[in-house]
Amino acid sequence: MRSPIPILDSHGHLGTHVDFPSVKQSPDEMLAVMDHLNIEKLAVTSLLACYNDAPHGNAQVDELLRRHPDRFLGYITVNPNPPGEGLHELERWKHFHSPPLIKFHPGLHKYPVTGPNYKPLWDYANQTHAIVLVHTWDSDPNCGPLMFPAIARQIPNARILLGHSGVTWRGYMQSIEAAESAPNLFLELCGSQNHRLILEKCVDRVGAERILFGSDLPFLEASMTLGRVLTARIADAAKERILRYNFLELLERY
Amino acid sequence: MSAYATETLFNEAADWNLFDVNVRVGPSGIHGELTLDTPELLEEMDRFFIREAVASHWTAEEYDVPLGNAALAEVAQARLTPAWAALPDTDLAPLKPKAVRLTPGGNQHNFSMARWCSGPLFDYLDAHSVLTLIARNDIDWSELDRLLESYPRLPVVLLDTGYRADRYLFPLLEKHRNLYFDSATYLAHRQLEAFVETHGPDRVLFGTRLPLYTPAASLGVLATARIRDDARLAIAGGNLRRLLAD
Repeated sequence: MRSPIPILDSHGHLGTHVDFPSVKQSPDEMLAVMDHLNIEKLAVTSLLACYNDAPHGNAQVDELLRRHPDRFLGYITVNPNPPGEGLHELERWKHFHSPPLIKFHPGLHKYPVTGPNYKPLWDYANQTHAIVLVHTWDSDPNCGPLMFPAIARQIPNARILLGHSGVTWRGYMQSIEAAESAPNLFLELCGSQNHRLILEKCVDRVGAERILFGSDLPFLEASMTLGRVLTARIADAAKERILRYNFLELLERY
Repeated sequence: MSAYATETLFNEAADWNLFDVNVRVGPSGIHGELTLDTPELLEEMDRFFIREAVASHWTAEEYDVPLGNAALAEVAQARLTPAWAALPDTDLAPLKPKAVRLTPGGNQHNFSMARWCSGPLFDYLDAHSVLTLIARNDIDWSELDRLLESYPRLPVVLLDTGYRADRYLFPLLEKHRNLYFDSATYLAHRQLEAFVETHGPDRVLFGTRLPLYTPAASLGVLATARIRDDARLAIAGGNLRRLLAD
């Protein structure tokens, strides 16, 4: 199985994880998988930054982008704690991409995405027309999908990707409901729950033009989400939008 | 044919003789939108080149064991090997089971698998080497360890193991030769491939979690794992056929 079209992958990582052994997670191993599946570029966020240390994690992404500028894009991962550090990180690494790619992980940073520490970060995203990838999870008090319409309406210039689209069946339903109510909310697909019919439902209600492929590589297996998209009962043109053109348009349009 | 047709994307799987160990059939009170009746299930299996499946019945799992087993008997056919449900006092002998799927969790059939509670049931399963499917959420790791130790001839397949369990799973696989697991949720980056490299292919069985999950996910992982062809065939169905034949 290989994608017929070169993929622009909106959700990847760099690094290892806490609660199970990492295998084959080096950039060279990631590139081998990307070549195998026809992933042209992967936008990564540092797992070190998501879990523990944003400044050092973002520095790892900087190094990766210097080594492989044609294969990786870099999210600046921002922790709302301590207040002020996030804006400093956004300025420090603004050379990653323009408009900036920003990653929030309210689940791991254990801080609600609607909390005051995020306010200046959302304002920055609005001013810079940023693409903001946010981890979401079904009904999570820090990052449940239904928390996002109010935010999205306040920052109409930012493009917010609902990472994992809430993961579960109910989380997807919440993400669809959220995206239906704000045009700058997008559904991102990676996740470990591979329900039948869910992608068809997303396309039907939100439209293929607001759905983005993500692999979660090298955390999750890229081929499972790719298999879901490639075999969904949706038009081939919709698959190509999801796998490539939607993210391309977001990267180029602002 | 479109480059996006399932037949094109997974054409090599037509020769793998896929046998899915993790399938349910019938109506569900919880997952109604996703459930499949037998013709629909077979159609979905065809779409992904899945020749056979071990199937249990939602009615047995969610409601009543005798009623569910009767419903399963009605839909069983050559491509669907029944995974019967059982309680500690269920007499399985009339069913001549090759496989059972037990759901002992507190919010399901609510029983202990310890000898003091389920001794006769497991004595039967062990004596007849009945393939015994148990989902990870229905058993804790220490209980699984005791079960495998108590019944060393009983082939146990842990379903829905998830991708975060290796630090529990590997020691138990090394300790107990009668433990197997399915691939439906073994979905971390290169996890299946790395497992085969370190442990060989014999303890993993292809699973999809139909009708809840699309087979595209676990089939995609199997199809793109950089492993030997004989290992891929073992996982695809060879291991399961061997266990059912034993």
